[in-house]
Amino acid sequence: MSNQEINITENVMNKIKSGKAKMKSRWYFLLGSTIATIGIVFLVTTLVFLIHLIIFSLRTHGPMGDIRYDQMVSNFPWWAPVIAIIGVSFGIWILKKFDFSYKKNFIFIVIGFILAIILAGWFIDYLGFNNFMERGPMRGLYQQQDGGGMRGQGLRNIR
Amino acid sequence: MGDLKILTDEQIVEYVRNKDKETYVEIVLRYQDKLMRYSNSLTHDEQKSADIVQNAFIKAFINLNSFNTKMKFSTWIYRITHNEAINIIIKYKREVPLPDDMDIISDEDIELNFSKEEIKTKVNNCISEIPLIYREPLTLFFLEEKSYDEISDILRLPIGTVGTRINRAKNLLKNICQTKK
Repeated sequence: MSNQEINITENVMNKIKSGKAKMKSRWYFLLGSTIATIGIVFLVTTLVFLIHLIIFSLRTHGPMGDIRYDQMVSNFPWWAPVIAIIGVSFGIWILKKFDFSYKKNFIFIVIGFILAIILAGWFIDYLGFNNFMERGPMRGLYQQQDGGGMRGQGLRNIR
Repeated sequence: MGDLKILTDEQIVEYVRNKDKETYVEIVLRYQDKLMRYSNSLTHDEQKSADIVQNAFIKAFINLNSFNTKMKFSTWIYRITHNEAINIIIKYKREVPLPDDMDIISDEDIELNFSKEEIKTKVNNCISEIPLIYREPLTLFFLEEKSYDEISDILRLPIGTVGTRINRAKNLLKNICQTKK
């Protein structure tokens, strides 16, 4: 065994024995995973809602032929994709931070994530969850997004 | 505890986590030579390599509870060492890797020209002149005898890219070694 090998072994073990290198507890990693999961759940919920809101906003502007580009651009909730990008970047950062050892194909994760959110948003809209939201706590927001085209009509008759 | 030698890395990790942290010395003894060789092939600096390996062992110990014992410990510790080495290389900026899309045009079947053992010897002699992105998989494949799958895990590259880089590295190695003759 060379001197260098002895040094590495000794240095590492001395730091462990002296307590300079302490093993992080399982709770630390469990907490990290839990926080990350909660964050992702919140992110998904928020983004699903935003997708649903975008679909609602598009529908209330009437058939496609009647949609005016400038109206679309001015009414589009641009903060939604910004939040989505920030959120996904943060999620990847967390995944990398808490699991630096195994390979992950982040491109597939991101694509899968975005597709799942779009599908979930569409599915919730399809199930009629919007009826509850329109009349419930998000009424003000929905009225902002209806583009003015449906004022005076029951929101439920839009379809 | 009985004879540590008969235990797998993962079993030792479990023992270190749950019973005796000083058993970690067995892990250090098992891997320090391999990691020194790998780190040295990336940095060409014994002292820096010793620091890298030491830091990797300490980092692995600190995060041992995040290791999934259903996975291979060797891949995990190589990954940590690799990250440490890359951080040091970036810090000293001694390496200028070639761009990813650089290709060496050759129709020759390199396997016909070099056997694995021959390549192993040549790799040792010429490896320092190969750009880092090719040196990493080549070292892991020929010197550390890792599979494409393990290299893919350690370097976080798709298996196809690992294969491409190893082939390019062999071409580069051939050119470099031939000009050295």
